[in-house]
Amino acid sequence: PQSTQPPSIPIPPPSHIPHTPINLNIDEGITNLAPFITFNPNLSIFTNQPMMKKIVHLAIDRAIREIITPVVERSVTIAGISTRELIIKDFALEPNEEKMRNAAHLMVQNLAGSLALVTCKEPLRISMVTHLRNLLLQNGYSEQNIPEQAILIVVSDNLELACSFIEKAAMDKAVPEIDESLASSFSNRKKHRERTGQPYYDMTVYSGISRYMSNLPEPLRLKPNGLQPQQLRVYEDFARIPRLSSHAAAIYDDRNSRVGMHRGQDFPIGHLYNTAEMPFDGSQIHIPITAHQ
Amino acid sequence: MHQQQKLAQLEEEKIYSLITELTNPANREQALVELSKKREQYDDLALILWHSFGVMAALLQEIVSVYPLLSPPALSGQISNRVCNALALFQCVASHSETRGLFLNAHIPLFLYPFLNTTSKTRPFEYLRLTSLGVIGALVKNDNPEVISFLLSTEIIPLCLRIMETGSELSKTVAIFIVQKILLDDMGLGYICATYERFYAVGTVLSNMVNQLVETQAVRLLKHVVRCYLRLSDNPRAREALRQCLPEPLRDATFSQVLKDDIVTKRCLAALLVNLSDNVVTTN
Repeated sequence: PQSTQPPSIPIPPPSHIPHTPINLNIDEGITNLAPFITFNPNLSIFTNQPMMKKIVHLAIDRAIREIITPVVERSVTIAGISTRELIIKDFALEPNEEKMRNAAHLMVQNLAGSLALVTCKEPLRISMVTHLRNLLLQNGYSEQNIPEQAILIVVSDNLELACSFIEKAAMDKAVPEIDESLASSFSNRKKHRERTGQPYYDMTVYSGISRYMSNLPEPLRLKPNGLQPQQLRVYEDFARIPRLSSHAAAIYDDRNSRVGMHRGQDFPIGHLYNTAEMPFDGSQIHIPITAHQ
Repeated sequence: MHQQQKLAQLEEEKIYSLITELTNPANREQALVELSKKREQYDDLALILWHSFGVMAALLQEIVSVYPLLSPPALSGQISNRVCNALALFQCVASHSETRGLFLNAHIPLFLYPFLNTTSKTRPFEYLRLTSLGVIGALVKNDNPEVISFLLSTEIIPLCLRIMETGSELSKTVAIFIVQKILLDDMGLGYICATYERFYAVGTVLSNMVNQLVETQAVRLLKHVVRCYLRLSDNPRAREALRQCLPEPLRDATFSQVLKDDIVTKRCLAALLVNLSDNVVTTN
């Protein structure tokens, strides 16, 4: 963990994701993950047979394709709704649409990324194992000699990579969606200021909550001169939500100081753990949540 | 009197200062401990939590920050306590009639589902699931159709069913309470009985619970199981299916000793058996 103060506009890219422009058009394939796939050097099966690396890449590619759409849609939708509702409430007396937009972006990106990650990890692991097994069976292996151990290890070693791809897709998709769902909030502020020279207040929201404001202490109160930098910090903190187990643990250990932590210094090796089938029809990620948008 | 007013004012100031601390990550843990202790004493806490700037956002950060510790399971007792204190404040918001709708409308309950989806049997995880169920339980308590229609648009039923099969007795009780509340709503009953797969999923879990109850004799759980079956029997198709698959221990005298003093549940069980024995009315 770093002890330095975070920059004032912290929008760090998730740094455990390779810093190359990842092509998000899944129709064209996810070929650019290839250089980042890890092969345990102790597994001769991968070092001796160049074909194997291609098969692993293809299995990861197929597993991602299978899962990415429902996971990203669900995560972006939920994160977008929560962000919209809380931002509209908290920024009712903030006339500066750029401050509002910045806070909304930080919140929605990081909520969507976190949700996508926690949702995709287990299905992705199972799917990677399945695709890898099937591809090996189609390429000369039989049920008797299939390298189960190697499959589990290579999937474990690359699970974070595959997850971070989906996480990144969710973070990227969340931004234009929140811009769209808050578009009128942003334009009302801008138009009102340009037309009247006066700051805009969202009175339809504020009139509902004004009666709670009078007793509140300063940091919790919305005031006509807009939000204070100290208040905006709450939203900047969304950029510091940990994504890796090691970082989460470090944040809790280090919580006595405000940690300006950047994500992604190492890749913990995933363990294998029990999976329980969902006893309802279909997997949980396929049930849409469209009824309440 | 004057003295009392002064005390009340001091208490209120203390609450406000604790809520202010919630927005600062460095002081949050202690503030969470103290506020979750006080949440019963202060009626308007839910309103203040919701309307104060940044407090809901800060609590949401608490929830999401433990996601990386869920799989593989790495949640310590202390971190579990901390997030459960944040959940207790969400429960407070979910319970209050003036904030419940806002809480639902912001879809915040969905951020608890990853907790309900964990399967680790360790205490920190068991406690996390129980507390998360408590928030959903607070939502369904008042038989509000909006709550039920929200929950039906999510994955809550499969999540509850799994906990009903594998959770601790306390978690099972809260999970079946939620399912029971969903069933009691007409839309909920219709949803669960709309397909054979849904009915079968619920029926199988209930039937497994009955078989476990023969061993454990947990009367509190038994009450809910009987209520769920009785309510299912209100649906014609489910009633037809239950005639074939109601577990034997509910038909014979297996539980008569446990239910000896529980007139209400005994009556429900009797009504259930009457519903299922009725062969004439359903033929058309």
